[in-house]
Amino acid sequence: MAADTRLPLRGLRNAVIILAVWEIVGRLDLVAGGALPGFTEILFRLWEDRADYPRHIWATLAASGAGFLIGNMVAIAAGIVFALSPATLRLFRGVNIAIFALPPIAIAPILVLTLSGMAPRIALAALGVYFVTMTATVIGLSQADSRATDLIRGYGGSRRDELRLVLFRGAMPSILSGLRIAAPNAVLGAILAEFGGGGRWGLGAYLLGSLGRGEPDRLWSIGLVATLIAGLSYGVFALLSRRIVGATRAVTLNSAIPEVTKVGGTPAFRLFLTLGAVALPFLFWWAFIWLTGVPDLIAKTPWGVVDYLFLSRTAETAQARLLAALAETLPITFAGMLAGLAFAFLLAISSKLFPRAIEAFMPVALITQTMPLVALTPLLVLILGRGPSLTLWVTISVTFFPAFVTLAQGIALVPRSAEELPRAYGGSRWTELRMVTIPASLPYLFAATRLTVPRALLGVMIAEWLATGRGLGNLLNQSRGYLDYGMIWTVAAVSVLLSVVFYQAVVLIERRVLTRMGMSTAE
Amino acid sequence: MSIRLNRRRFLGTTAALGAAAAMPWRPAHASTPFTMQAAWINDAEFAGYFIGIDEGYYSDEGLDLTYLSGGPDVIPESTIIAGRADLALTTPDTTIRAIVEQGAPFKIIGAQYQKNPIGIVSLASNPILTPQDLVGKTLAVPPVNVISVNAMLQINGIDPNAVNIVPYAYDPTPLIQGEIDASLDFTTNVPYTISQQGVEAVSFLLYDYGFTIYNDTVVVTEEVLAEKRDLLVAWLRASRRGWEANFEDPNLWPPRWADTWFAGTGRTIENEIFFNNAQMPLMQNPAGYFAMSEEDIEANLSALGQVGIVGNREMFDTTLLEEI
Repeated sequence: MAADTRLPLRGLRNAVIILAVWEIVGRLDLVAGGALPGFTEILFRLWEDRADYPRHIWATLAASGAGFLIGNMVAIAAGIVFALSPATLRLFRGVNIAIFALPPIAIAPILVLTLSGMAPRIALAALGVYFVTMTATVIGLSQADSRATDLIRGYGGSRRDELRLVLFRGAMPSILSGLRIAAPNAVLGAILAEFGGGGRWGLGAYLLGSLGRGEPDRLWSIGLVATLIAGLSYGVFALLSRRIVGATRAVTLNSAIPEVTKVGGTPAFRLFLTLGAVALPFLFWWAFIWLTGVPDLIAKTPWGVVDYLFLSRTAETAQARLLAALAETLPITFAGMLAGLAFAFLLAISSKLFPRAIEAFMPVALITQTMPLVALTPLLVLILGRGPSLTLWVTISVTFFPAFVTLAQGIALVPRSAEELPRAYGGSRWTELRMVTIPASLPYLFAATRLTVPRALLGVMIAEWLATGRGLGNLLNQSRGYLDYGMIWTVAAVSVLLSVVFYQAVVLIERRVLTRMGMSTAE
Repeated sequence: MSIRLNRRRFLGTTAALGAAAAMPWRPAHASTPFTMQAAWINDAEFAGYFIGIDEGYYSDEGLDLTYLSGGPDVIPESTIIAGRADLALTTPDTTIRAIVEQGAPFKIIGAQYQKNPIGIVSLASNPILTPQDLVGKTLAVPPVNVISVNAMLQINGIDPNAVNIVPYAYDPTPLIQGEIDASLDFTTNVPYTISQQGVEAVSFLLYDYGFTIYNDTVVVTEEVLAEKRDLLVAWLRASRRGWEANFEDPNLWPPRWADTWFAGTGRTIENEIFFNNAQMPLMQNPAGYFAMSEEDIEANLSALGQVGIVGNREMFDTTLLEEI
């Protein structure tokens, strides 16, 4: 109990120390010749610009709210169907992974090309929430208490009664915690689409107009407002779920495609499901273009991309450009995956060894997750230059957070008695870590890898787009200028495909390793 | 499919009715919806259109104008291909390239900037005043403009590999801090921003070193050109009026829009005033705003020809300007 009362105080003290250091460093222009403004400079600027904000915030809230609503309605509906029908879940596996893995910066231009008005913002926000909520719904529904359902059945209740009285109620905490993690995603998705999409209002549009001024305090205050909105949206659902279910859940998003072990049917049926899972994302892509009715000069179907890449007059140069870009992007992506994971792992281990230092670091870590990277670019290039180290740090910043939360959770769950064994034999804390904690948290290491790997490509593409001018990120941007629609769609498709392949590769290795070690997948 | 066919037929019928109705008894105030896609967010670059809307020049011409602003992911040409706008402001290099390489059905019917405002901006303390000065320097260029820069370098006999080109992410801070030596941007805009940071900037136009192209070319699809020719002429006439009014006093209009067109753009009114003054000489032409003389069209084609974008005179249609 004593520890509980000290905790908020200690957190407050750490926050004050961080803000004070930030303030001094910023005021004295110690970092990058003043590209990092002091904290109070940012607050003053926010106050000075206060008249600008309401309409921008309102626009961002409207778009992210609509996206949140639509995305979650689809996600919960899909989650219910998936939970009731394992075969459907199998069939939609490809679609689900693709939505989880797709890099938003490759998708935003596609949405702006094919949709108009608010639609690209809403779509990007909805895509950001779908996977989290869908997964939470499936997990919530499949973990229902069988004793309660038995009771309903025993009193002659129907399947519908079972759903209504037990399953949905049981799933509520899980769904609510999904919504909580999804809410900031919606905000960030909307802001990204506002930045590129050419609307008049929204924090993303405000950021774009402000970039040209070379005034870091303005950019940081926009970032701060974005962080606040994302944080508040998280908080609202955290409060709601505490009110409704009186329970708290993990803060991380669950990256596991809920696995349903028994899918019945003949081998032929199972083959059909697997093929369907591969084909369905392409079918969705094709249907999307058909529904939007955008002419085929700018909207490429899967076949259009194949045609562009292999059959058209310019196929050879297109292939050459794509391969050259991949040759630049892939090595650094692998390096980025390792760096992101290593960073998360070190952080997670440190949180065990030096809990206080890590606690103090957390607020900073949270800001890096919601601050638009484009606003940080000048700061980053001034500190790190435009070489591989910048790419690696951007990738780390994009990947480490969810991986860290997952790992920390895993390390915290290692059974006490197991840890006490090496200690009883006089082992050091390091021996304890090496022999017990790390092996025991292996399932969580894999879960973290699943989270990191698709996002590493996103991080690398962002760095290429903003700072290094190489690889896929640059190719995407240049193709926009050349009106090379075939290449825009190709880059989007290839980046999603790669992310899915990375994800799938981790899943396969994970199954092998965990089966051999007799462990089960961490959710 | 059937839906689209019906829509096309409906449009055709409407156009036919419009033609049959002929001008004489068309009500004076009937206004036809018309949409334009701009190239960037609201700034002084589009002042003439804002005046045209606010002062009713478009409605005088029977146009009910919808104005769409642009952004980094917005490709103006895409908007007209998708039929979401009738007309777009584009850069001629991308437009002509799309016609040549993809058979895009575009016609250029006017040019807002007679001289492209894009140039090389550097600090007076580390000045880059000619293309030769760029050798061995780091230049930040928006990825979409890399071909333009390479063209200018080649025209001036410089190996593009001799210049270290990095992406430009819209923020002048790295230039002010000396992380890069120069950046490519609108010379009508960035020098002001830099001066606000207490540093003096210098610049030169790519145009003045052989990359003689227009900017904000007025582009339509062949279909729109055939079906809405009178509306396009009306748009050109009203827009020219707007630009004439704007340059009577370039300081007058931007402050008036502080709460409308320029509200919350993140930019300052002083910046827009600077911009508006700086762009005046780049837009003026004795034949009137949007004019496209034969010599200038030839200069555009030859500059683009040097970077392998081989257009021809057919891509420009000057007959609408003659009807203004």
